[in-house]
Formats: sequence, structure tokens, C-alpha cells
Amino acid sequence: MKSEVMVGNKAVAYATKLARANLIAAYPITPQTTIVEYLSEFVAAGDLKAEYVAVEGEITAQLVCLSGSIAGARAFTATSGEGLLYMSHALHHTARYWAPVVMAVCNRSVRTMQPDHTDLLAQRETGWIQLYCENNQEVLDTGIMAYKIAEDERVRLPVAYALDGYVLSFTAEPVEIPEQEKVDAWLPPFKTQYPVLPETWDNDLAEYKKHWEQGKSINEPFTAWAGDENFSHLTMIGWKGHDLQWRWRAHQEAMMRAKKVIREVNEEYGELFGRRYGDGLLEEYRTEDADAVIVAMGTLASTSRTAVDKMRKEGKRIGLVKLKSYRPFPDEDFRDIAKRIHTIGVIDRNISLGENGIAYGSIRSAVYDMKDRPKVLGYYAGLAGREVRVRDIEKAAEKTLKGGEEAPTWIG
Amino acid sequence: MSKKMSIRDLREEEVMWSGNPACQGCGGSLVGRLIFKALGRNSARVEVASCAPGFMNIRVPSFFGPAFEGGAAFATGLARGYKVIGREDITVAALIGDGGTVDIGFQGLSGAAERNENVFWFTYDNEAYMNTGGQRSSATSKYAETTTTPVGEFSRGKKERKKNVAAMVALHRVPYMATASIAYPEDFIGKLEYAKNIKGFRFIQISAPCPTGWRFDPQYAVKIAKEMVLSGMWPLYEVINGESFRLTYKPKEIKPIKDVLKMQGRFRHITEDEIKDMQDDVTAYWGRLVSKDGKEFF
Repeated sequence: MKSEVMVGNKAVAYATKLARANLIAAYPITPQTTIVEYLSEFVAAGDLKAEYVAVEGEITAQLVCLSGSIAGARAFTATSGEGLLYMSHALHHTARYWAPVVMAVCNRSVRTMQPDHTDLLAQRETGWIQLYCENNQEVLDTGIMAYKIAEDERVRLPVAYALDGYVLSFTAEPVEIPEQEKVDAWLPPFKTQYPVLPETWDNDLAEYKKHWEQGKSINEPFTAWAGDENFSHLTMIGWKGHDLQWRWRAHQEAMMRAKKVIREVNEEYGELFGRRYGDGLLEEYRTEDADAVIVAMGTLASTSRTAVDKMRKEGKRIGLVKLKSYRPFPDEDFRDIAKRIHTIGVIDRNISLGENGIAYGSIRSAVYDMKDRPKVLGYYAGLAGREVRVRDIEKAAEKTLKGGEEAPTWIG
Repeated sequence: MSKKMSIRDLREEEVMWSGNPACQGCGGSLVGRLIFKALGRNSARVEVASCAPGFMNIRVPSFFGPAFEGGAAFATGLARGYKVIGREDITVAALIGDGGTVDIGFQGLSGAAERNENVFWFTYDNEAYMNTGGQRSSATSKYAETTTTPVGEFSRGKKERKKNVAAMVALHRVPYMATASIAYPEDFIGKLEYAKNIKGFRFIQISAPCPTGWRFDPQYAVKIAKEMVLSGMWPLYEVINGESFRLTYKPKEIKPIKDVLKMQGRFRHITEDEIKDMQDDVTAYWGRLVSKDGKEFF
């Protein structure tokens, strides 16, 4: 296995190359820019055989990926902050067509150009799987796993994976690069489930019509649902029939199935390449005998590891939970952890204005129905790219250990 | 250069099924029928929000893009995706309304034209957002009454002139750009047959009168389209590679536009002065086109 010192954006580009994405459509925005530069260099040099579409805006980037994926291409795009927000309604459509597009997001705050997670978390209702990365190695590994998850026939949903802008995108770390042959053997070429081809169209329509006339939808196996969802839009026939709500319901069930698939993919990857990230959804660090845990996403998890190590040396029984998959949300995992500790301190690098931190809300909700539920405390840190020091995390962890204040507090 | 074709030269096969939920006298439906009769069934259709989903009875794979601004993006993605799977033989045809072309879809259209995507773009131009009840678009004619440019004490209908999107697309130097009309199918089909074998971005803007929005008796849709051509309001031309310009139909004598305006309820309020204002505009533009005929476009 080859190793190279590379910035996070290069790790994204390598992952995309190793996954052999063959349709790339993107529009530049800081701090995502060098991803598309690296990729266009790969394409120019012939190292990556792909259609590279340098589009005129992010909506087009996303929609090119969507329709290209339907036609049969393995599609990739990348963006940041404002670009992601501009792309927002297109994200809904990629998800609603069950198109397994993969997107890298270099988190960028819409209040500065520095990172916070509000840009991607604000897209949590689009129906995309969202995975957050802690370091450049995880970025590269997640970029490959993302396709395996997205294209799994039990899922067939788009996947976004996030790296903190600047902190990872422009910071170099040693990264191991898996061998192409090994990746190829594990991730076979993409084949679309529902090709849009003129010669099969009459047949496809007849099949769909039959299916529809028999009133099948919600109780059918998953593949039929996905077919319905595609065909209904492709033909418009579906507009006439069916319970409309199943479009959401089928999607929700695919999201729930994705939890299992993410765990499996993480395990397979671990066996083949020697690296796994917790159970794929979240990662526990020094939680075995912990009295309380703090929760962090992205690079704040790295800072938190240092804080936890330091406090452990002082004999304080604190652990860390790194939340990797925000969508689907690993609520069972949190309930499992909650049984063992008295307090969860959630550090959010995001805010849902008018309410509270987004992960904080989700975790509280996950443990609410437990008989002996732990206390859940919220902290805001690193918003708009504000520097987060180890001692800031320590402060939050100390409060968490004490099971202190209820209201979310601003740290740093 | 396209050649005029007899409608008898068209393939016999109908790509449109019988039964069409569009309004009576719909010009857009005719556009859809002629396009796919000429292109044949080895094509895929892209459509966005417009009346075109109303012409759903066209037997080619139809991709309904739910993002209004995404006509060009969807077509680009399909064309590139087909290339990836080795199926460049499939013609990707975008059947888009005027709003999806001149307004919300314009950025994407310009991008795809500049990148010279292998896409055949058709704008069926009924000069307003007819699908949502007839609101003005930038393709609406001056003085036309629409649901967002009502005539009243302080309003004489639409204030602005129609956006000249055909010329703008031609300035992208795409391999083929043309205008057409449902009243001149022999001219339209000739253009389709010529352009269908060209690789790259092709664009045809087709006049498609709308009885519902323009407020005329449905039986006159073709007649109005014809009168628009005969009066110079809708010149038929083509521009190849953004360079050579040619009028593909030159009426012997240009009729005044007054008659065709008077046939439409959307212009019923129009005064003589306003007709003159429009007529001056049409006359000047037609004169300019005639002077360019057979020459460089710009």
C-alpha cells in the first residue's frame, strides 16, 4: 500500500479516482475548488477515464449528476457552503429519483468562509445519506465506501460525505492509498437499475403499467418501489395512481435499511483495507468505563480525542463518541451508549437558529423514551470557523462529567 | 443548410400515441409530434415544468426533470451518461417551453450551448407561462395582456419587448440555430432532418400559438402562426455555426401585423398608436434580417 502526504481535497480526488467515477460535474467554490482541479488534472492526464463537465453553476452540477446517473454513469460532484445551498432543491430531486450520486462537501459557514456544519446539516431533509469525516485518511476511505453504500440495491440513495473546509481541505496529512486492483475487485463498475433506453421503453412501460394496474406499491419488495419512483416520474403515468405518501415512506425505509448497509460496508472495508471507523455510523473512543461522554463531528472529534486523553491521565472517566453518520441517524447506538453513562455532552459545530444545536436535538430525542435516560447537555463550538482549543473541549467535558447546566452553552 | 421537405417525405411511423390531454388547438402538441416523427424512436426526451408533460403520449423515454431551471442540465447529464455507456447514437431532445428557455432556464441553456453539449433543444414558444395560467415571460410580446400584465387604468399589458433568445443562442456559435413555425411544417422538418445528424448543441425555437392564453378560437392556431410569419412577426431563419445566416422563408409581400394582432384576445385593448409602435419594430427588424440574408450573422 502506497502512502502520500496530501491535503483533504486531494484525498477526495484520489477516492473518486479509485472508485472510477466516470461522470464529474462541478462548479468551483472555496474551499472545494482544488478537488475539481485535481480531478480535471487526472482526467487531462488520462489517469481517470471520465466525462468531466465544467458547468456554469451548482444546480446544473447536481442535475447533470442526477440524469447522468440515471443514464448509467457513476457520478460525482463536490461543493461547499453557499454552493450547497444553491444546489439545495436539486439535492431533493437526486434523492427522490434514488440516483446513487456521491458528493463531497467541504463544510463552509455561510457567515464566514471558515468551516461549520450548518451548510450540510441544513440539507438533512433532502434524503441524502450524510457522513462526516475526521481526518484525510477517513476522507479517502469514506469517498470509496460512499459508492458502495449508495449503489447497494437495498439503499440506492445519494451519499454526501463532509470534510471541514480549510482544517482538512487545505491541510496535509499522511494518507494511505489502497491499490486500484483491490478497490476494483470490491467495487464493481456501476450498472443502473433502470436504464432509460429507447429499445426497451415499450416493454418498461408495459411492465410498469401492469404493476400499477395491479395496485402494487407499498407492500412490494424494495426494488419495485424504486422502480415505481423512477418510472412514475419518467413516464408521468405514476402521477395518476398510488398513495402519494409512499414516496416519502419508501424513502424513509431505504434510509433505515442504510444503517445496516453502512455497518456492513465499514466492516468489509476494514477487513480488506485494514481501517474501520467504529461501526460505520459512529465511533466510540475510551467509553468502556466512562461515566460520561462527549459527542463531536468532523475534526472536532480529533481535538476531543486529545482532550479525553488528557483528562483520562488526570483520572477523569470521560469518553468520546464521534458521530459519523448524521443521516441515517444512529439512534439505537446512542441508546446503547446511554445505558452505560450518566451524561452526554454534545458539541455542535452548527446551530438551528431559534432552537438549538442539531446533533444535540437528535441525541436528546433518541434517548428520551429510555427508562433511565441520561442527561443530555449541549455546547456550541467552532461556529463560523472559530478556533476550538483542547481546553475548550475540556471545559465542555468537565461540565458534562459534573452533569451540570441544562441549557446549551457557547464555548470557546 | 437545411432543405425544404414535403410532409409526404416524413417517416410514416407515428411516435405520438393517440389521445392527448393538451388543450384543443395546442400549438405545442404539434411541435412535439413533428419533432419525434422526424427524429424517430431512438431518442430520449427531456422536459421540465411546462405544458409539455401534457404531450405525454410520445413514445420515447421521457425524463421529466422536476427542476424548472434544469432543462439544459438534465439534457447534458443524459447525453454524457449515454456517452459513458457507449450509446451516443441516442438523440437527446429537450422539449422546453419559453419560460424554461428564456427566463429560469437561460443560465443553463447558455452553459450547455457554450460547452456545445450533444443535445437538440426545442423551445415551443407560446409566449407565456401557460401551464400555470398564463403569466408573462420574457418571451411575451409587447402590449400582450397576461395574468401578470393585466390591462387597467395604469397598465397597457406587457411593457417590454420580446426577448430575442434565438439571436443570443446563435451568438454562442452553436453548430445549428433556427426558428420554425407550426404553420410551416415543410420548413421545420427540413431543419430537423438537417440538424439531427449534426453533433453538438442544436437549437430550434418554434412558434406555437396557444388558444387558451392568446384567447382565440382553437381552430385558428395554425392560421395565426402562419399570419405571424407572413407579417414578419415570426421570421423563419437559420444560423449555422453562429456565422452564416439565411432566411429560410421569404414572403413575397410582408403583410401588416394589425390583422394577426386583432385575431387574438390578448391584444384586444391595443390602440392604433400601439400597433404602429409594434409595426415599426417588426418592420425595422425584418429589414435588418433581409439585409443579412445569405451573409455573416454578426
